[in-house]
Amino acid sequence: MKIDRRSFLGLGLGAAAGVAASPVTWKLTDDLSIWTQNWPWTPVPRDGEVTYDDTVCSLCPGNCGISVRKIAGRAVKIEGRSGYPVNDGGVCLHGISALQYLYDPSRVQAPMVRKGDSWKTVTWEEAITLVAEKTKTLRESGKADAVACITDNNRGTISGLCKRFLMAVGSQNFYTMDTMDKSWEMLISKIHGLNASAGFDIANSDYVLSFGTGFIEGWGSPVSNFIANSSRKERHAKLVQVEYRLSSTAAAADQWIPAKPGTEADLALAICSVMINDNLYDKGCVKKFGKEFDVFAKLVTEKYAPELVTRTTGIDASKIRSIAADFAKAKAPLAIAGRGKGDSAGSLMEFAAVHALNCLSGNINKKGGFWTIAKDEPLTWPSLEMDDVATKGYAKATIGENSSVSKLFEAVNSSENGSPVEMLMVCNANPCYNLHNAKGVQEAVKKIPFVVNISSYMDDTANLADVILPAHMFLEMSQDLYTSSGTTQRVTSLSKPIASPIFDTKHPGEAVIMIAKALEGSIASSFPWETYDECLESVTGEMWSTLSEEGFIDSGSQASEVSAMDFSLFASFKGFTMPEGDKKNYPLTLVQVDHMRLASGTFASSPFAVKTVSDSILKDSDSLVEINPETADQVGVSDGDIAFIETPVGKARVKVNLFDGIMPGVIAMTEGLGHFAGDNHYIGGKGVNVNELIGPVTDPDSGLDAAWGIRARLSRA
Amino acid sequence: MDSALIPKGARRCPFPVFATGIAVVSVVLLWGVFAMVLCWLKGLNQTNMNDYYGFALWIWADLAVIAIGGGAFFTGLLKYVFGIDELKNIINLAVVIGFICYSSALLILAIDIGQPLRGWFIFWHANVHSMLTEVAFCLSLYFSVLTIEFIPLILENRQLDKVPFFHNLSHNMHGVMAVFAATGAFLSCFHQGSLGGVAGVLYGRPFAYREGLLVWPWTFFLFTWSAAAYGPCFTLTVCKMFEGITRKKLVKDNVIHLLAKISGWMITTYIIAKIIDTIYWAGVTAPEMGFSLMDFYSDNAFYGIWILFAEIVLGGIVPAVFLTVKRFRENKKLLLVAIILGTLGVCLNRWVMVLQVMAVPVMSFDTWALYIPSWQEVATTILPVAYGVILISLAYRYLPMFPQEQELYDSK
Amino acid sequence: MTQDNHGKAHKYGMVIDLDKCTGCGSCMVACMSENNVPFKENETDKKDSITWMKVFKLTNGKPFPDIDTCYLPRPCMHCGGKGDHGHSPCISVCPATATDYGYDTGIVSQIYTRCFGCRYCMGACPYHARYFNWWDPKWPDGMEEYLSPDVSPRMRGVVEKCSFCYHRYQEARDRAYHEERRDHIEEGEYQTACTQACPAGAITFGDLNNPEHEVYKLVKPDPHNCGRPREPKAFRLLERLQTNPKVYYISEREWVRKAGDNYRKGEWGKEIKVSHGKGH
Ligand SMILES: Nc1nc2c(c(=O)[nH]1)N[C@H]1C(S)=C(S)[C@@H](COP(=O)(O)OP(=O)(O)OC[C@H]3O[C@@H](n4cnc5c(=O)[nH]c(N)nc54)[C@H](O)[C@@H]3O)O[C@H]1N2
Ligand SMILES: Nc1nc2c(c(=O)[nH]1)N[C@H]1C(S)=C(S)[C@@H](COP(=O)(O)OP(=O)(O)OC[C@H]3O[C@@H](n4cnc5c(=O)[nH]c(N)nc54)[C@H](O)[C@@H]3O)O[C@H]1N2
Ligand code: SF4
Ligand code: SF4
Ligand code: SF4
Ligand code: SF4
Ligand code: SF4
Ligand SMILES: [Mo]
Repeated sequence: MKIDRRSFLGLGLGAAAGVAASPVTWKLTDDLSIWTQNWPWTPVPRDGEVTYDDTVCSLCPGNCGISVRKIAGRAVKIEGRSGYPVNDGGVCLHGISALQYLYDPSRVQAPMVRKGDSWKTVTWEEAITLVAEKTKTLRESGKADAVACITDNNRGTISGLCKRFLMAVGSQNFYTMDTMDKSWEMLISKIHGLNASAGFDIANSDYVLSFGTGFIEGWGSPVSNFIANSSRKERHAKLVQVEYRLSSTAAAADQWIPAKPGTEADLALAICSVMINDNLYDKGCVKKFGKEFDVFAKLVTEKYAPELVTRTTGIDASKIRSIAADFAKAKAPLAIAGRGKGDSAGSLMEFAAVHALNCLSGNINKKGGFWTIAKDEPLTWPSLEMDDVATKGYAKATIGENSSVSKLFEAVNSSENGSPVEMLMVCNANPCYNLHNAKGVQEAVKKIPFVVNISSYMDDTANLADVILPAHMFLEMSQDLYTSSGTTQRVTSLSKPIASPIFDTKHPGEAVIMIAKALEGSIASSFPWETYDECLESVTGEMWSTLSEEGFIDSGSQASEVSAMDFSLFASFKGFTMPEGDKKNYPLTLVQVDHMRLASGTFASSPFAVKTVSDSILKDSDSLVEINPETADQVGVSDGDIAFIETPVGKARVKVNLFDGIMPGVIAMTEGLGHFAGDNHYIGGKGVNVNELIGPVTDPDSGLDAAWGIRARLSRA
Repeated sequence: MDSALIPKGARRCPFPVFATGIAVVSVVLLWGVFAMVLCWLKGLNQTNMNDYYGFALWIWADLAVIAIGGGAFFTGLLKYVFGIDELKNIINLAVVIGFICYSSALLILAIDIGQPLRGWFIFWHANVHSMLTEVAFCLSLYFSVLTIEFIPLILENRQLDKVPFFHNLSHNMHGVMAVFAATGAFLSCFHQGSLGGVAGVLYGRPFAYREGLLVWPWTFFLFTWSAAAYGPCFTLTVCKMFEGITRKKLVKDNVIHLLAKISGWMITTYIIAKIIDTIYWAGVTAPEMGFSLMDFYSDNAFYGIWILFAEIVLGGIVPAVFLTVKRFRENKKLLLVAIILGTLGVCLNRWVMVLQVMAVPVMSFDTWALYIPSWQEVATTILPVAYGVILISLAYRYLPMFPQEQELYDSK
Repeated sequence: MTQDNHGKAHKYGMVIDLDKCTGCGSCMVACMSENNVPFKENETDKKDSITWMKVFKLTNGKPFPDIDTCYLPRPCMHCGGKGDHGHSPCISVCPATATDYGYDTGIVSQIYTRCFGCRYCMGACPYHARYFNWWDPKWPDGMEEYLSPDVSPRMRGVVEKCSFCYHRYQEARDRAYHEERRDHIEEGEYQTACTQACPAGAITFGDLNNPEHEVYKLVKPDPHNCGRPREPKAFRLLERLQTNPKVYYISEREWVRKAGDNYRKGEWGKEIKVSHGKGH
C-alpha cells in the first residue's frame, strides 16, 4: 500500500484516537499512579507481633524507666514506663530518641586502631593485646601512675571496674566528670559533717527559691522535676527563680528575680540578713545545732543588709524583704542551687549562701525540704590484689590536683618534658567536648602518647584516640544505675539489653575485664569473673535478686540525721568565682545556658532532638547568641547579623538573636552544639561548642572548676 | 521558503529572520523545559516554596494568565451571543491568546502538583465542595472549547484549506461556533469565578475570606467580572504589540475603540464593585475576625498599603477613566497606557489574592512569610511566555489571524 | 453514624495546660517516632521542617525585665469547621477528598496515597498544621529498622499532618469490638503518643462528648455553641475564625489567652460574639 500524506495523517489520527479510546491508556494512567503509591525507595516497615520490654534509660543521670515497643522482636518505639518511681510514664525527648542512637550507622562498628591520620579496623584480640602491651610496658618501666582513666560518674559497676583496674595497675589517676553533686557533697560535709549527698524535696515544697537552677530544663533528674513542677498548680506551691535570663524555668516561675550574674550569693545572704533581723528564722533548730551562728548573723546583717545588696544585685530592698517574708512564712520552704551544667561544679560559697537559707528555715530532712541522704557503697567488691608495682604506683599523688579532671589536662599542657600521662583510658565520657577550654583539652589529649577510648560513638574524644574499643549502647546491655541527682528519692535499677548488639561491640565493663585478663598476674586475678554479667550479679550481692526480678529497688528517702550546723564556714570563705577576663577589653559577659532539647552533658543530641531546636538557637550551621536589644544597639549589631564573639579563650562565628529576656550586658549561648560526630551529619558539625570559648576557673573554696561564664566582646562580621 | 504556508497576499518577514527569532525564544523555552523536568524528576524541593508559602510565583502566573486570557471568552460572548459583529476582526487573536493562556495554565498546574501522575484524582475522587474541583473541571472543559474554537482557524491555513475535508469541517464549525462560544462563556464564568472562590472561601485566612452569595464568595463574581473587564485590555495590548513589531496596522481603529470602550465600562463597574467589596471586607468581615485593615499591610518588607492603592487606583480607576472617556480612549498614547495599566492591574489583583494571602500572618504570634522564588520557578514561569510567543508568532505567520490585515494594507 | 458532631458519636479532643508545659519537646519527638516522621540533615529552616506537633514560643512583647514567655504546643486542631459540621477549612477545599472528617470520632484524616500534592489544604489551614513532603523521606542506612508498621511512611509530594494517632484509635476500637464492647472505648485505652509522653502531664486527651472524660471536665465544652469552652481560663486558637478546633488551651495568664486570637484595639476583655454560621 502506498502511503501518501493524507492517508498517513488519517492513519496517525486514527491510531491516536484508538489508543485514547482503548483501555491501554486508562490502565497505564492507573498503573502509574499506583506506582507512585508504592515507590520502592519509600520503606515499608515489616509487621509482626507486638511486645513490650522494660528497661532503664541511662542517657542522663535521671535514669527513667522506659518501655520499648517491639514488632516481631524489632525495637520500634520508646515510651515512658508508667508506675516507675522516677518518671511514672513521662519521658524526655532524648530518651524517646534512643533508637536513633541504637540504629545509628555512624556508630563505631568494630575495634579501631589509629594509623597516622586514618583508622584501621582490627579484631578485639588485637585491640585488647595492644592496650595490654602498652600498660605492661609502662608498668615495667615504673610508670604505672602515668596511666589515667576518666569516666562519666563514680557510681555503678562500669566505673567501679575502671577504678579497680587502675588500682590493680597502680594509679590513683582515676577521674570523673565534675558535677554539682560533688559540690553539694563537699558542702554537706563541711557544714553538717556528714558523708551524704544532697536531696531536694521539690515535689513537696510549697515555696521553692531557686538560684538559677534550670530545674525544668534538665536539672537533676529531669522528668521527675517536670512532674514536680506540674503538680505545683494543684498544690498551690510557689516557685521563685533568681536568674539573669528568662529561662524556661524563670518563665514558668511565679516570680522572676533577675539578679545580676555572679551576685546570687549576695542575694541569698541578704535574704538571710532579713530573716535574722526580723526574727523570721527557726530559732529552735539554729540553737540546737548551730555553731558560731552569732558570727554569721553579725556578718550578714552588717555586710549584706538589703539596702547594701541592692546595688550589687540590682534587686530592690523591698523585694528582697518580701521574698524573705514569703520564704519564712512558707510551710515547707526550700532553697536550691546548682549551676551543674553551667559549669560542672558550682561555687561553694554560693551553694553555702543558698543552703544557709535552708538552715535558717529549719526545713532540713523534713517533707518539702532539703535532705542529707546517706551515702553508702551499694556494691560489694571482692578484695583486690596489688603487686609491688601497683602498690608503688598507687602511693604517688594524682596528676590533676584535687582529683580535678580539668587540672589533669592543665598538667599535661603545662608540662615541658613530655606528658605526665602516658596512657589515658576514657570510658563513657567525652572530655574533649564537655570540659571548659575544650580546645585546650584536645591539645592535651593529642600530647598523650596513648589514648584508649571505650565508646559507642566517634565523638570529639574518640576522634583523637589511638584505640577505640566500641562499646554497646545502653539498649544493648545490662547495667546497674542509681538515680540520685536532685531528688530525695534514691532508686537503684537494672537496665537490660532489649536488642542484641548490632555491631561488633562489647560491654564497656567486659572490655575492661578483657584488658585485665590479658595483663595476667595480680591484675588478672583481681578480675575473677568470666563475663561482665557474672561480675554484675556477684557485686550487686543482696540487691541482685530484687533487681533481676523487679528491675528496680526504690529505697525512698533515707536521711543521715543532721546533728550540726557549722556557720563558721562563712567567715572563712575565700570568695566567689568571677568570670575570667578584663572588663575593658571584654565589656560583656558570656554565659552558657542549657536547653532541654539539646543534650549538653550527655551525648550529642539525636537527629530528632536537633530537629526540635529552634532557629533562634541554631540556624544552618551557625550557633546563635542571645543578646538584649539594648546591648545590641551599643555593640552595633542587629537581629540575624553574623558576628564574631571573642573571649580570652577563643573566638567563634555566631549569629545574633535579639531577646528581651536576657539581661543587658550579658550574652547567652546554648550548650550542646558544635559536636564532632564522625559521619553523622544529622548531629555533627552544627554550631559552636561554647566550652571552646570558656576556660576553667578554679573555685577558691572547693578547688573544682567553677567557671560559669567569661568576659567577652562581640563584633559584627 | 515557507511562502506556500503563508496566507495569500500577506506580507511576512523573510524566513531566516523569523527562524532566528523563534530560535532565540526557543532557548528560553528549553531553559524552562529543563526546569520543568527538574521539578518532575526531583520534586518540588526545586522551588523555594515552603509549608508557610505553599502557593508561589507560578500559581500567580497561572491565575494571571487565565485572567488576561479572559479576552477570549468575553469577546466570544460579545460576538457570538450578543452579536456584536465588528469583533470578528479581533476574535481570532482573542481565541489564540485564550488558547495559549489556558494551555499554559494547565501546564503550570501539572508542574505545580507534588504528584503529577496522580493529577487525575481531582476528577476521579472529586470533592464537590472544593473550589479547586470546580476550577479543574471548568478549566479542562473550557480548554476543550478553546481548542474547538482554535481548530477552524488552523484549518484556514492555506495548505490545510486545500484539503476538502478540512475546508468543509472548518466551514461547518464556524456555523456552530455560537454554541461553543456560549458554552465557553458559561464555563468560563464558572472557572474564572471558582478561581476567585479558591481564595474567597478560605475562612481560615482573613485576608482572603469574603462573604458571598449561596456557596460563592464575592471574589467568585469579582474574578469573573475582572477577567471579562481586563481580558480585552490584554487582547488589545497584544494587538498593539503586533502592530508595533510588524509596523503594520492590523485591526481597524473602530474595532479597537469599540473593544476598549466595552472594556472601560466593564472595568468601571468592576472597580466600583471591588471598592464596595474592599470597604465591606475591611469594615465588617475582617474586624469580625479581629483584624483591622492595616494589620494586612504593615510590619513587613513588601506588602505595604501601596499595593492596595496600585491595584484600585492605578489598575482600576485610571484605566476605567481613560477607556470610558472617548477623548482619552481615542488618544493613542493614553489608550496604550490604559490597556497596559489594566493588564498589570488585574495581574496585581491575582498576586494579592494568592500570594499576599500566604504571606499575611494569622495567628497572633506568627510572622510575615515572605519568599523569593528559585531560578527553577522563574524559568517554569517564563516557559509559558516563551511558548506563547512562539505559538502566537506561528499563528500570525501562517494563519489568517487578522481578517482586516489585507484591507488595511491595500488602503495604505 | 450521624452526619453531625452533636450526637452520641465520639468527639476526640485535647486540652493543653500552658502553665504546665515546659517546652521540653517530648511531645514533638514522641510524635515523630510514633508516626514515622522523617528528618533531614538540616532542619533549621522551620518552614519546611515536618513537625506534626510543633511547640511555639510566645512572648508578651515587653522589654527586660517585664518580658514573659510561654510555650504553646500545636498539633492539628481537628477543626469541626463552621457550625461544627465537619467542614474544616482544609477538608472543604481538598479537591480529591484526600482529607476527610470522621463523623464518628471528629478526627480529620489524611490519605497520603490519594493526595496529589496541590497544597490547597495548607493554604486553608491557619494553624500551619499541614506539612508537605518536599523531599523523599530518607533514613540513614539501618535506621529504617525503627519504623513502625502502624503508620505508613509518606512519599515525596504529598501532605501530612497530625492524625490524633488514629492508628491507636483503630487498635482500641478493634479491641473493644473483639471484647464485645461495641464502640465503648475506655478513656485510657485510646491516648495519643504526645499525651502519653508529656513528662509535665500538660496534655489531656479524650472524648469531648463524654462528661466523664477529663477533657470535658477541664474545659466544659458548650454543645450549643460549637464546643466553645465554658471554663473561663480555657480558650481555643483563633476562635473568631469559626474553625472550631478540638484542641483547647488553658492558662492562668491573661496575655497568653489574649495571644490565642486576634483583637483590635479595645476589644480584649469585652464579650465578643462569634456567630456560628453555616459556612460554605
Ligand atoms: N536536656 C538535658 N537534660 C539534662 C542533661 C543534658 O545533657 N540534657 N544532663 C543532665 C546532667 S548530667 C545534669 S548534671 C543536670 C544539670 O542540670 P542543671 O544543674 O540544671 O544545669 P544547667 O541547666 O546548665 O544550669 C542551671 C541554670 O544555672 C544558671 N546559671 C548559670 N550561671 C549561674 C550562676 O552563676 N549563678 C546562678 N545562680 N545560676 C547560674 C543557668 O542560666 C541555668 O539556667 O542536667 C541533666 N539533665
Ligand atoms: N563545660 C562543661 N563541662 C561539663 C558540663 C557542662 O555543662 N559544661 N556538664 C558536666 C556534667 S553535669 C556532666 S554529667 C558531664 C558529662 O560529661 P561526659 O560524661 O563526658 O559526657 P557525655 O557526653 O555524656 O560522654 C559520654 C560518652 O560516652 C559514650 N557513651 C554514651 N553512652 C554509652 C554507652 O551506653 N556505652 C558506652 N560504652 N559508651 C557510651 C558516648 O561516646 C558519649 O559521648 O560533663 C560535665 N562537664
Ligand atoms: S530524663 Fe534522662 S533518663 Fe529520663 S528519659 Fe530523658 S535522658 Fe533518659
Ligand atoms: S511534652 Fe508536654 S511539657 Fe513538653 S513541650 Fe510537649 S506539652 Fe510541653
Ligand atoms: S488545624 Fe488545619 S489541618 Fe487541622 S483540621 Fe484545622 S484546618 Fe485542618
Ligand atoms: S494537597 Fe492533598 S490533601 Fe491537600 S488539598 Fe491537595 S490533594 Fe487534598
Ligand atoms: S496526637 Fe499523635 S499525631 Fe497528633 S501530635 Fe500527638 S502524637 Fe502526633
Ligand atoms: Mo551531670
